[in-house]
Amino acid sequence: MADERLDEAGFARAARAGFARERRTIGFAWIALLVLMLASLGSAYLKLGPWNMAAGLVIAGIKAAIVAWLFMRLRDAGTLIRLAAVAGLGAWCLLVALGGIDYATRTQTPSPVQRPQQLLPAQAASEPG
Amino acid sequence: MTATTLTDAPTEPGLDPDAGKLGMWVFLASELLFFGGLFAAYLYGRSHLPAGWAEGSRHTDVLLGTVNTAVLLTSSAAVALAVACEEEPRRRRWTARLLALTAALGVAFLVLKGLEWHAEWREHLVPGPAFALHVAGAQQFFALYFVMTGLHGVHMVGGIAALALLARGRSHRRAWASARHVEAAALYWHFVDVVWIFLYPLLYLVSRHG
Repeated sequence: MADERLDEAGFARAARAGFARERRTIGFAWIALLVLMLASLGSAYLKLGPWNMAAGLVIAGIKAAIVAWLFMRLRDAGTLIRLAAVAGLGAWCLLVALGGIDYATRTQTPSPVQRPQQLLPAQAASEPG
Repeated sequence: MTATTLTDAPTEPGLDPDAGKLGMWVFLASELLFFGGLFAAYLYGRSHLPAGWAEGSRHTDVLLGTVNTAVLLTSSAAVALAVACEEEPRRRRWTARLLALTAALGVAFLVLKGLEWHAEWREHLVPGPAFALHVAGAQQFFALYFVMTGLHGVHMVGGIAALALLARGRSHRRAWASARHVEAAALYWHFVDVVWIFLYPLLYLVSRHG
């Protein structure tokens, strides 16, 4: 009986300590997310050329990782749940990569990022004679 | 305290305590592909019509977009705290309040978004014959802007309804408002937040220095 009471007291202490730790983690994560949001806003007003988009996406990636790892608790999740989370991301990367191969190599509606020499064969073919 | 403790709460006999979480993660993976097609379309427009994308983005309301981002990040922290409270018996009374706070922040987000859409309507930024901008691609940018933010808004409405229902269920001690359901709803809400985290720089912060 006394042992059971001790166990209950121990469980309650562990629950309180666990909650205090979790609350601290959520607080720090929230502040980090707001600071990163302001960093993202500030970086958009700097003239960084193509690095503006890179900075915005990298900061967004860090924010998403904080939410997934700490708020969505992937850090405590089992392998199966982590696999399910990564599977969606992996499938999306495949979608963009395969779609991008088409759009980045088109000669009829080229993108500004495509090099002129990449378009030369199509231009030569369309010229008369 | 780990998530395992939360799922140690009584569940239906024979049900794996992690089944609900796994089911929600699989659903979220499919949702990622749902939004993913739109993000892929965005990347195509951004690389092929950069001038129109820059002009369109400069006409979005960066102040309201930033405030809404802060509101959504705060709501995510609130619902994470609600799940943590659920695991500590002495803090459980806070779960319903934090769920209600999260839903209220979601409503605030939608109200601000509604004001933003209204202003864009008045400024003729809705694609159509009277569209105000004359740079190639700007109209496509705003078409994608309204589809992406609209779809995100629909997901917000679903999340707000689920959280408000759970908050009411918890405060009335209904059995269906269980810890498992609170955690699943919180996962969904965080996903909606993650989608916005990417929408914010892609829609509001293109060529702001120009």
